Amino acid sequence: MKKLSENILDKISIDYVRTQVLKNAYGNDDTPIAKLDPRTLLLWYLFFGFFPWFANNVVLLLLLFMFAAATTRLAKVAPLVLFVFCLGVFSQTGYLLIVSLFFDGNLSTIIPLSVLTLKVATVSLASITVFSGLDPDRLCAGLLYFGCPDKLSFSIAFSYRILPVLMEQFQNILFSYRLRGRVPEKSGSFWVVKNLFYQIKIIMLSFYPLMLGTAKRSRTTVEALELKGYRHSLSNPEVRRIKLSHLRFSKGDFAFAFISLVYTAGSILISSYIKL
Amino acid sequence: MSLSSNSSMGQAQKMMVFVLSMSIYGIATLFTELIPSFHVGIVEFSVEYFLFIPLSLAMLLSPLSAALGAATGELVFSEIMLGQFGGLGEVEKFLTVTIGVYVAGRMVRNPLDRKMVGFAAIFGVILQQGMGCIVDILKVVLAVEDFEAVPGLPESVFFTEGFSFLNDVLFSGILFCMLPTMYLVPKLYGKIEPLLGMKPRDEKTAFGGEKLFTPKVAVLSILGFGAAALFEILSESGFELVDWEADWAESGPAYAAGIFIGFIVLAVAIAAIKRNFESSKRGAGQ
Repeated sequence: MKKLSENILDKISIDYVRTQVLKNAYGNDDTPIAKLDPRTLLLWYLFFGFFPWFANNVVLLLLLFMFAAATTRLAKVAPLVLFVFCLGVFSQTGYLLIVSLFFDGNLSTIIPLSVLTLKVATVSLASITVFSGLDPDRLCAGLLYFGCPDKLSFSIAFSYRILPVLMEQFQNILFSYRLRGRVPEKSGSFWVVKNLFYQIKIIMLSFYPLMLGTAKRSRTTVEALELKGYRHSLSNPEVRRIKLSHLRFSKGDFAFAFISLVYTAGSILISSYIKL
Repeated sequence: MSLSSNSSMGQAQKMMVFVLSMSIYGIATLFTELIPSFHVGIVEFSVEYFLFIPLSLAMLLSPLSAALGAATGELVFSEIMLGQFGGLGEVEKFLTVTIGVYVAGRMVRNPLDRKMVGFAAIFGVILQQGMGCIVDILKVVLAVEDFEAVPGLPESVFFTEGFSFLNDVLFSGILFCMLPTMYLVPKLYGKIEPLLGMKPRDEKTAFGGEKLFTPKVAVLSILGFGAAALFEILSESGFELVDWEADWAESGPAYAAGIFIGFIVLAVAIAAIKRNFESSKRGAGQ
């Protein structure tokens, strides 16, 4: 229990989160995945994000999972992201398995659940590759190309830029609350719980100044956008064309698409001959 | 909620509310994603979400912009940035959060009335969690073949989902949504609006005018929930499709060929759509 609470407080260390997220967003421009055209990757994701749900063969799912894992490895994803991924997969299906054992489930429950886990894992890995492998600007360009609402691509670009600023502001507010506040005295058996509630309360309170500060900031942002005629540019096809003119397919894109195709077809062939 | 009833709420202000709600709720979900839950006995204490942020903003400012902003913020910050984007399944979360926050925001007419604020906040949470819970149960029922036949699975699904619903509403809902909203809304009232260049909301300018729930809101919410359930189930309902495919795809090579053809059709279709799109855009531009 004590260890867990320390673990939680460690995780709240904002610097860690900030560096990890930024590293994930901007840190790996030189990976083979980041060099691909965003359109290739989005099409690729369209396939790997949907196909596993429709496959039911354990061998095929395993092979697809291995492929998705390999691309994630190529994309050099930050460890924090992978940790969150593992947590997510386990919390989706592992928990269900444990509880079903209480309701006189037996080991045969594992098989349908492991199929579900494999599907979830493959799809999530594919999305990690695409959405973490690409830097935000290229991701936005790709999304815009396929006709996503401009508001979404604006939100992504804006979020990545505002994140470090907001985190720093939040951290400063948090520090000032800590400076002025008083941590519960380190005695009694409920200290850990008390401390935890105190920390959470401070985080809650910090949102009040943060909201006011961000309100001001978002007004500045929107007014600056208005000055540049942002809303008008959304409806102008010429602006769109200029925005997307830098996208080019290269040899790497064709190679990547070809390898994925051959691998998928090959694993379907293999899975139809091997029976578990 | 016509613009004429509240002329201080222009397009630019709506955009500001959207950006504000998106960035703050985004930051908050980024943290909640990283704070692990801990168990005391069977009760799970998790900081499920800081829904009080969009709830307060929806009650004070424009409900729809705040709701859409919150859902987008969650999508962008905690799903796309952390690489957890789950495809179609995210549509469900997006719609339920939007509906929950929007309905709660419309319910409050006087932001200084703490009781009403608290009630609306917990109602929004119940709405959002309830919809999520129903969809989650349906998802497992449809995604696992012979659901009833797997020993122990039906009971465990109903138990875990029902329990997590109660847990979320009673613990996260009251502690992290209702209480902070009741504290924040009256405190922010009159302070945050001038920063965005608008007048504070009062009885006259409240959205929805006389009626709390117009039929339009109810119908839209139900439609939205239907769409949410449909998307979630679509994203997981592989089994029936595979049964159907098994008739003609007994042999591996046929299946592989099918995949190739599918790819080619996809590529051609996208190229065609793109050409159409661009030519229509060019036509519109001239």
